[in-house]
Amino acid sequence: MQLYLPIAEMTISADLIFAVSAFVGFLSGVFGIGGGFLTTPFLIFTGIPPAVAVGTQASQLVASSVSGAIGHWQRGNVDIKMGLVMLGGGILGSFVGIFIFKLLQYFGQIDFAISLIYVVLLGSIGFMMLFENIASSFFSKKTVRKEFNTLRIHPIIAALPYKMRFPRSKLFISALVPGGIGFVGGILASVLGIGGGFLLVPAMIYMLGMPTLLVAGTSLFQIIFTTAAATIMHAVFNHTVDAVLAFVLIVGGVIGAQIGLSIARFVRQDHARVILTVLVLLVCFQLCYTLFMEPGELFSLEVLS
Amino acid sequence: MRFLLILLLLFPVSALAQEHALTVDLAEDHVDVTTGFDGAHLVLFGVRNADGEVAVVLKGPEAPVAVRQKQNVLGAWINRASVRFEDVPQFYDYALSVNDEEQYDLAVRKKEQIGIKGLDFEVKDEDVSAAQKKEFLAALNRTKREQGHFPSEAKPITFLSDSFFKTEFYLPSSLPTGAYVVETFLLKGERIIDKRVTNIKVAQTGFGAQVYKFAESYAFLYAVLVVVFAMFAGWLSNAVRRKR
Repeated sequence: MQLYLPIAEMTISADLIFAVSAFVGFLSGVFGIGGGFLTTPFLIFTGIPPAVAVGTQASQLVASSVSGAIGHWQRGNVDIKMGLVMLGGGILGSFVGIFIFKLLQYFGQIDFAISLIYVVLLGSIGFMMLFENIASSFFSKKTVRKEFNTLRIHPIIAALPYKMRFPRSKLFISALVPGGIGFVGGILASVLGIGGGFLLVPAMIYMLGMPTLLVAGTSLFQIIFTTAAATIMHAVFNHTVDAVLAFVLIVGGVIGAQIGLSIARFVRQDHARVILTVLVLLVCFQLCYTLFMEPGELFSLEVLS
Repeated sequence: MRFLLILLLLFPVSALAQEHALTVDLAEDHVDVTTGFDGAHLVLFGVRNADGEVAVVLKGPEAPVAVRQKQNVLGAWINRASVRFEDVPQFYDYALSVNDEEQYDLAVRKKEQIGIKGLDFEVKDEDVSAAQKKEFLAALNRTKREQGHFPSEAKPITFLSDSFFKTEFYLPSSLPTGAYVVETFLLKGERIIDKRVTNIKVAQTGFGAQVYKFAESYAFLYAVLVVVFAMFAGWLSNAVRRKR
């Protein structure tokens, strides 16, 4: 079915977009990921302008993070105070991200920048996961526990000012650290159209020293509002949120996630991690290929207004 | 249907024919881009009352266009050189009553933007050399052609009688919206005997148009609604899961 996108002002194949968002939703159901890092490059690849792809994908992330966060919330696994401090940084970050995006667009480097940041992020995450998968099959680590995080916080982090007490996480730490992590997450949301969970979660464990039990729920809680802020800012400053595309992405994602969740029970956790690692590395290599292989057409056009 | 149209058209045409060397009309003066839009045909009828060749030019809204060239920097392909062309029509097509546009006078073709070979756009940047401009202009033409927004060759003009003619353009689904103009010329050598300008509006209609308008005028409210819908969908997704 052909569908005309009113904001992107182009016709897309609704079936294709729906199938992809359902597939990504399925993966998010199985692996508990947002999947922005898969959908955004795909949308750009189908010819949707990067600005519309990123702005609209942010709204899809609101849906997937809400559905993920509710469960954690009900089990009380959200550190609200920590989430709010991160959110403060997140909103500031998405605001800054919008301007970084506009600046890159002005210099005609937005496609390149998006691809490059993806390659760096996915490459480093992918290889880290790869080594962890290999390592965990030989050793079992005991440094990170569910209720208490026994990791020593880096002395530089411990020395930062504006210390705050976070009773739920049993932490006394500078507000700049969770704020800074949220800030980076906000930039990622508005520049790349991703929630950034894959970056936030390790940062919260290793830099904040949060108990892992609270990390997923708190990061999802924070991602809901950061991506909502990114959606609103993209719509207000750039007019690049396409409601029709958002509808297809969200509905596809929700249906896919339902299927994924019922299959997730039959997938072993360590197998899931291996599959996810392969997937992350594949997307990374694909983007590397487009960056480093000589393109068939060296020229591109941009209509300036 | 088409026969009726021709009859309808012929009637006023014969009355006007005394005053103009050229009379034209479009079957439709607007193109509606709906949610299911997958392209449209634009049909133009005309009558010439003087000797000469006919050329029809269809132009979309004009805007400056940046043409960027990727260059290899440390192994990666990055946009480096860029040339800005002024007033480039976002869509362009043309039809001729002769086989080759080069049979027309070059100065006239360039001035009136008749034919793809005569298309040239202004570059304000004085640092751009003539050779560079030529290369980038060729890239502009090529890319627009691949998008289906520039033609590779002229459309034919069919003569239904000695003076009555018809031509047809295809408008793809990726058509940029805005104000279009159809310019019809009656040419003889380097002389333009007559020129007629007709306007067409290419605009979104129905649901899509309302979404577009709403997003433009109430951007904040629009975004909030999208976010609320997303939150609701997320909540629903979770509720369904818990029920099972």
